Amino acid sequence: MTILATEELTRSFPRVTALDRLTVTVGPGVTGLVGANGAGKSTLIKILLGLLEPSSGDAQVLGMDVRTRGAEIRRVVGYMPEHDCLPPDLSATEFTVHMARMSGLPRTAARERAADVLRHVGLYEERYRVMGGYSTGMKQRVKLAQALVHDPQVVFLDEPTNGLDPQGRDEMLALIRRIGAEFGISVLVTSHLLGELERICDHVVVIDGGRLLRSSAIAEFTQATETVTVEVEEGQDVLAARLAELGESVTADGRTLLVRVRAPETYDALRDAVADLDLCLIRLEQGRRRIEDVFKEPADV
Amino acid sequence: MSESLPAPPPPAPAGVIHDIGYRHYDGPRLGRGHAAAALAVHSLRGVFGLGRTARAKIIPFVLFGIMMLPAVVSIAMMAILQERGVRYTEYAIVMQAIPAIFLASQSPYTVAPDLRFRVLPLYLSRPVTLWDYVGAKLAAMTAALFLLTAVPLTVLFVGELVVDMPGAVRTSEYLAGMAGALALSVLLAALGVAIASFTPRRGLGVAAVIAFYLLSTGVSTAVGRVLEQAGDFAAASWAWLISPFFLVDAAVQVGVFGMDGSGPGGYPEGVGVAAAIMIMVGLIALSVVALIARYRKAASR
Repeated sequence: MTILATEELTRSFPRVTALDRLTVTVGPGVTGLVGANGAGKSTLIKILLGLLEPSSGDAQVLGMDVRTRGAEIRRVVGYMPEHDCLPPDLSATEFTVHMARMSGLPRTAARERAADVLRHVGLYEERYRVMGGYSTGMKQRVKLAQALVHDPQVVFLDEPTNGLDPQGRDEMLALIRRIGAEFGISVLVTSHLLGELERICDHVVVIDGGRLLRSSAIAEFTQATETVTVEVEEGQDVLAARLAELGESVTADGRTLLVRVRAPETYDALRDAVADLDLCLIRLEQGRRRIEDVFKEPADV
Repeated sequence: MSESLPAPPPPAPAGVIHDIGYRHYDGPRLGRGHAAAALAVHSLRGVFGLGRTARAKIIPFVLFGIMMLPAVVSIAMMAILQERGVRYTEYAIVMQAIPAIFLASQSPYTVAPDLRFRVLPLYLSRPVTLWDYVGAKLAAMTAALFLLTAVPLTVLFVGELVVDMPGAVRTSEYLAGMAGALALSVLLAALGVAIASFTPRRGLGVAAVIAFYLLSTGVSTAVGRVLEQAGDFAAASWAWLISPFFLVDAAVQVGVFGMDGSGPGGYPEGVGVAAAIMIMVGLIALSVVALIARYRKAASR
């Protein structure tokens, strides 16, 4: 099943080409859309919502053409914009109910859905207060709630972790993961931070300057190599030298050493080396390759 | 599990809150019309400060109270002195400052917050279209103005029926007054909302609308008086039409219903009536076109 698909999608503005012949397909689950600011992420979302006409090329959401069936798409899609969009003189409940009604839900259903969804995003008593006094974290939750209130099949979340503190960020990411896994709603989430997307996405699409850099499952990004991160209190250089002697490939990375795992014996060699040298071992961690590393490598994929 | 061995149900513990998880919505999804109607009602309530803070209710209700005064006084006059007070067709014109202040203070509320707090993209990411949005906002402001101008007329009419004055009941004058009130509401709402939509700042919108009212009334009176003093009454009769209140009086109450004019001088006759109607309809159309153009631009951002 294809959630969305674009074919040679191009959108030019008078002075800049926001999307340049972008061809990409996204399946169910949580998909990350990564790119620097101005890479074309928000333009893509607006085109997918049918709010912006493509200059050329095609795009489909749930099999519906964005040019001709925009209204039908908007009925089954939720959108959380990047910018602030909350009137400060309404409470979260009033606002969410109103947005549910704007999606065509009858009054009582809108009330029930709003209460449900606000609970799911983690707003309780504070939802009866006017939103003017909300923290950024609470505002982001309301923005997410209004995108989910009509029970869409797909949600587009534009920079949902923007402006959040680390804890708020973690909670938001966990929530997005739940939307994809538990709620059964497909998610397209944009970010310019790869690190946070790799924790929650099944699939990552990377665009830059409106062009597709890469689109693949998260496993492909992170599986490639296995390394072990070793941190010792002192004698990092000695340990590196000993391991190199034993034929392991070691690279220093700040206060830690990255040791490539050739075979299970690498672990033994590492353990013995630390023990023999009588070093104080602080950390021994299975290193997962991060998506960032993909960008450090030459673009051969 | 075999079906032949039904496990005895465990005794349900009382008073436990179950997390029922996310529930999908499979109830009815109403069309655009319902959403637009809900938006219009929401805006209409907001214009009168309902669902907003107590402070937001002061201005509309005080103005509404002042607007009712002549009706109350007239009823008292009919009951006590057996004398008719204010005429139906001159009611809105005598009290014109009140609808004008109401328009200036409340029409920015209908559009400015959505622009300022960027709620508009949330509406447009739903099945509601730009036309629905603009239509709902115009309908809300029109209804609010109609309530302001027609309720006193109706109260006065009921009063007249109850007091049972000697002579015929002025039903046709009441109906002409109601038609005038409706036309005035549509014209003022279109002008006010269109002017207010050009700034996301409410204060600026208020100032712009009131400036428009003062300017049109001032120019109309000044030019009309000067022309009258010069003895050119035909030209003066056109000058009154610069004021929206006299324009509606000339086009609807005098032109269509053949009532006595309530302006400072005579109105153009014959072709002038058709022209007044055309000007009125043209102004409404122009306002709607300006609104749509304004929102096209706002939506593409």
